Amino acid sequence: MPVGQQQTSGASVCSTPWGTIGVFLLPSLLIYAAFTAYPAVRTIWNSFHKVLPRADEAVGLANYAELMRDDIFWRSVRNTITWACTSPLIEVSIALLLALALYAKVPGARFFRIAWFTPVLMSYVVVGILWLWIYNFDWGPVNVALRALGLASWAKAWLGDPKTALPSLIFVTSWMWVGFNMVVLLAALHSLPREVLEAAELDNCGWGGKLVYVILPLLRATLLNLVVLSFIGKMKIFDLVWITTKGNPLWATETVSTYVYKRAFEWTTFDLGYPSTIAALWFVIVLAAVLALTWLFRLREKLEY
Amino acid sequence: MPSQKLTLIAIAGLAACVAGPAEAQQSKELTFWSHWAAEMPKRTFVEEAIKQFEAKNPGIKIKQTWYEKTALYAGLKTALRAGQAPDIFYAEPDQVEYMENGFLLDLSDLNWSAVEPWAKEAWSYKGKPYGLPLEAWTVELYYNKKVMAELGIAVPANLQLAPDAFLDMIKKAKAKGITPMALGVGDRPYPGAHLVHEALLKKLGLEDYGALMRGKLAWSDPRVVETLKWLAGLTEAGLLPTTFTTLKLAEAHIYFHTNPGALTFLNGSWYTSRAFNPPDKGGQPKDFPLGIMKFPSVPGAVCNECRSIAIGGSYVGNAATKHAKEVLAFFNSFASFEMGNRWLDNVQVQTGIKSDPAKLTGPQAADYFKMIATTNAGAKYYFGIPIQVMTGKPKEVFIQVMNNAFPAGTISVEDAVKQMTAAY
Repeated sequence: MPVGQQQTSGASVCSTPWGTIGVFLLPSLLIYAAFTAYPAVRTIWNSFHKVLPRADEAVGLANYAELMRDDIFWRSVRNTITWACTSPLIEVSIALLLALALYAKVPGARFFRIAWFTPVLMSYVVVGILWLWIYNFDWGPVNVALRALGLASWAKAWLGDPKTALPSLIFVTSWMWVGFNMVVLLAALHSLPREVLEAAELDNCGWGGKLVYVILPLLRATLLNLVVLSFIGKMKIFDLVWITTKGNPLWATETVSTYVYKRAFEWTTFDLGYPSTIAALWFVIVLAAVLALTWLFRLREKLEY
Repeated sequence: MPSQKLTLIAIAGLAACVAGPAEAQQSKELTFWSHWAAEMPKRTFVEEAIKQFEAKNPGIKIKQTWYEKTALYAGLKTALRAGQAPDIFYAEPDQVEYMENGFLLDLSDLNWSAVEPWAKEAWSYKGKPYGLPLEAWTVELYYNKKVMAELGIAVPANLQLAPDAFLDMIKKAKAKGITPMALGVGDRPYPGAHLVHEALLKKLGLEDYGALMRGKLAWSDPRVVETLKWLAGLTEAGLLPTTFTTLKLAEAHIYFHTNPGALTFLNGSWYTSRAFNPPDKGGQPKDFPLGIMKFPSVPGAVCNECRSIAIGGSYVGNAATKHAKEVLAFFNSFASFEMGNRWLDNVQVQTGIKSDPAKLTGPQAADYFKMIATTNAGAKYYFGIPIQVMTGKPKEVFIQVMNNAFPAGTISVEDAVKQMTAAY
């Protein structure tokens, strides 16, 4: 065997200490397997069964067939998708404006940065209770302000009316997460290459032009990540709905997560098969949506360069 | 050496024989999960019963944990499935899934002679009883006597306003800026439905109402539609608070008796468990002029004396318990006239345990139960409220439509009937 070859194979043996890698990987792999992989696989398995405490009964695709006919499920899907598609756009676009304002060092920027970021630090429970008060028909600040402005006829039970309940909750999540998006975008703005911005200025590029042709393209990766994160978060939303409306009125705020919980723990049955079916199908839909978004963004990136 | 070993084994064996029974006796600990964490009168009643039971049975300890209902139900569902549920826990008779899956201890050997037969019936499943029915309740229409008098409304001697008089009451209260009825569905699946089911029960009578609940009578039946239209007229006249859809149960109590104050309050007779707390703990003001009248008569009703009675908080045994005898003994410690009256005296809510309200010693309880007895005189009862009778999708639709959207006026009578019809 040639000397060189011997050295290479010796080096490769030395450079891959499988035992050590295994020792380091094993704990996290075990945790992943126990708390992520197994529950996911088990949920999919459950979806093909009637899962009762003392006996599981295979039902094939019966749960999926029932799900297709379940109009409450489809309402929850519609609500969740509406939320997941609108909220990221609202959050990220407002956050971009706020980040640009802070980047341009508006007066009181330090105060505004803290004030706008504060809602993120609160839990959904606190936020939910807070907004229940704000939306209160009799004494909530929203209706009080409307009455003070002579718009008393606009005052309503914001979370009690099927037409306004979902938009009202979408507004709450946007209010809550704008600050987070703003901080991430502000960090991205500060890390933009100065030479590119200076070159644009030398070319007599105004603020508008610089924003559209330089800053936004450079921020695109960050913006897209924020949109995807927000989208995934809204596809799973549960806490805020549970605290404020529990899916009421007339399922106007029912999301897939709240419906899964209701079917698993609040319906007079122990069967976990049907709730698992909803969870399994939703997992596939969320995964497909995320993959589609990622693919779309990658494709556009390739087209541009 | 072998003889030494044998001696040691013999000593160890003897020690085990001597220590065994004592240790076994000491180790008999019954675990007990209950709702009512925030309802002090009920907690105190149960805690005293535990103390009394432990004093009489030195070998048995009861380890009690208090919960709020939602957390308890969610916890029990997983604990029962995992075989980790307590020996005794809180349940209500609508939780048929416990019985369907064989999770409850058969209580046939309980001293049922001390329990009201209808309460036993409420807890019977396939011929066997499964729950100790502690709490029973009727739907009552509470009112503020002083405000009612100020509005110039006279409650008739039979305590039941006629439909026109009830509508007149609503208009008079609204004209004075007073909410006619405190009611909210912000955190419960039944307060708004009380309006609907009490009206339908009176209109249809026991048999046809039962058929409606079981899905054997159509929601499009003209009598049902007529009653819903009458109710829609009441809500359009401003019967309910503007915050009806988000007002929570505890807030509705305060809305009625304290702030801003409402004329009436439709609630279970367990009103006392919150309202009779001290005012600084959410109770009604001292000397609050509380009155109780009957639900108004319904136009064209066949049974205006019909009303709902329900078994509420009960205790059940875990079928998998290793201490079935002790669980039964504990339940039997509740099954007596003395305990029934103690419940009435302290908790001031009806009970499924036999009792005699005439023998109550607490003045507040005695007055309250006199009022309850008067409104219930001559009543014909339907056992259970809709959410205890219905299951699955009809129950879910009933909660969304009849508890929430229909009384709130966000859905028409036609749409409400359509949704209920489609649910079956």
